[in-house]
Amino acid sequence: MDDRMQIMIVDDEMIIRESFQHWFEKGGHMVDTAASGFEALEKLEKYPFDLLFVDIKMPGMDGIELLEKVKTEYPDTIVIIITAYGSIESAVKAMKLGAMDYLMKPFKPDQLNLTMEKIIQQKKLVSEFSYLKGRLEKITRFDNIIGQSPEMEAIFTLIPQVADSESSILLIGETGTGKELIAKAIHAKSKRVHFPFIPINCGALPDSLLESELFGHRKGAFTGATQARKGFLEVVGGGTLFLDEIGEISRKMQVDLLRVLEEKKITRIGDSLPMDVDFRLISATSKNLEEQIDAGTFREDFYYRINVIKIHIPPLRQRKNDIPLLVEHFLEKYSHETTKHVDHVTRDAMNILESYEWPGNVRELGNAIERAVVLSESRTLGVKDFTFLGVTPAPTTGVRSLREMEKVHIRIMLEECGWNVTKAAKVLGINRVTLHKKINRFQLKRKP
Amino acid sequence: MKRLSGPIGVAPVGEVPETPLKVIAAHISGYLNLNAEVIAPIETPSHAFDKNRFQYDAGKILSHFESMRFPEFEKIVAVFSDDLFIPIFSHVFGEARLGGRYALVSLFRLNKQPDGSVSPQAMIYERAAKVALHEIGHLFRLAHCDDNHCLMHFTGGLQSLDEISLYFCRYCSTYFQDALPLA
Repeated sequence: MDDRMQIMIVDDEMIIRESFQHWFEKGGHMVDTAASGFEALEKLEKYPFDLLFVDIKMPGMDGIELLEKVKTEYPDTIVIIITAYGSIESAVKAMKLGAMDYLMKPFKPDQLNLTMEKIIQQKKLVSEFSYLKGRLEKITRFDNIIGQSPEMEAIFTLIPQVADSESSILLIGETGTGKELIAKAIHAKSKRVHFPFIPINCGALPDSLLESELFGHRKGAFTGATQARKGFLEVVGGGTLFLDEIGEISRKMQVDLLRVLEEKKITRIGDSLPMDVDFRLISATSKNLEEQIDAGTFREDFYYRINVIKIHIPPLRQRKNDIPLLVEHFLEKYSHETTKHVDHVTRDAMNILESYEWPGNVRELGNAIERAVVLSESRTLGVKDFTFLGVTPAPTTGVRSLREMEKVHIRIMLEECGWNVTKAAKVLGINRVTLHKKINRFQLKRKP
Repeated sequence: MKRLSGPIGVAPVGEVPETPLKVIAAHISGYLNLNAEVIAPIETPSHAFDKNRFQYDAGKILSHFESMRFPEFEKIVAVFSDDLFIPIFSHVFGEARLGGRYALVSLFRLNKQPDGSVSPQAMIYERAAKVALHEIGHLFRLAHCDDNHCLMHFTGGLQSLDEISLYFCRYCSTYFQDALPLA
């Protein structure tokens, strides 16, 4: 592990900042300085820092206040408090608030060196811990299924309950809602976990190919069958078969699968001897199968066979309170994958994400965050990083007066109408003259 | 062998015995393979004296020296008998800026043993030479090294100073050779 760190010195005395800076630069660290707590917070918003040295006594925002804010907003950032002789009480308070250590000025060179060694050791432990935690989570949790909404909580409760049964499960949800992840979670919690989990997208395969993929064939069964091949129903042996987009399969295939489900036997194409198979079926669809039954494209008997347990996965627009949690998850994931340290989203940007309808659901949200992280030049994603979604930022509520809200709303409408006052007045439901008066009163001007 | 445009000057600041100056110059020649010579004393910058701490501010001295001209020398090692400090530290044995022209060495704290007794002269000279060579490393942009025995390993106390060697580790040695300008 590289021991070089991104360090910020926060002290109102220039001489102390310079002293630290020169010393740490000689250690090969990247050093930045801030003359006040406010400046430090501004820099933290833009760039990631591993370590902050904070003077306890500073005008404006003191070291304790800064420490509290840092520990709330950036809990991974290590803070060392610098105190003068006689402010031990504050130092103790700082330690209680999460500072890792304190140094009393002037300190012996060895003391700082010892503190740095301690920090490097701590960093190594934290990074090892988060690596192992990640590994463990991958093994034990419902892999990547994020949600705290009542709808998702209900699904999380259901997964272990249905996992051990042998009944067929039908997952219903729009594209991108995470149907395959839930199927994997069910498999992972079931006694079949040590056998294969085989996902097949029925919509992606033509009927003849799907038949060969599922049932396998003997050598010479059809043109091109130069080798005997095991089908997935055979390969899955003891595991879970996940058939996505089940609504796409033909009626003939429905009959064939229905027979397999009832008899637990398959016959390879071109073969005459049936063989026993053992698997658990989880199907998924984004279509309304009942409508397909009415239209005669889906067999009712097959529907009831695959639909012993039905799990409905709500679209993201119906569980918008999960968005911040998902955003946090994707930020962590893509910051790690792209090695860019982007870990914050402004309130306005979050408003945009929460007001967007997400037709592509969680998958689309993940892609949007990945794109924003890749293109971002700051550690905080803002409104401009999500302009590609085409959502007008809603004015933040709770922080502005009614007058300010009115001003913001009028400006948004004017911009949407290309500053055509007559059109904007019509949208706003007010008289054109009144709108002109408001534009003058609020001193609204068209951006060049 | 690379050669600098001028030798390294070893200058006493205030009253400094001659022997440690000669020892430092000899170590620069012997261990770094660079020409070094003892030069005329430099006047102690009195404004750098801190009356509260009874020490000289190394930062202020370096800033003062940067305004002085020694065109015939590539770098200057200024040796003090007085105690030096930088604002965050109680004291420093030496000080230099990365890529700077001046290195400071203080002999003030080099004569003690961990038990409080006086160190033998040979040991004091070796410590002074280590501090000087370490600071010269910084003048050629070498950062502190993780190798406990490397000359560029940070040493804040006499015990750790005695533990490092007079040589760079192989990485620092390569960096040092790369940093030397061609004459």
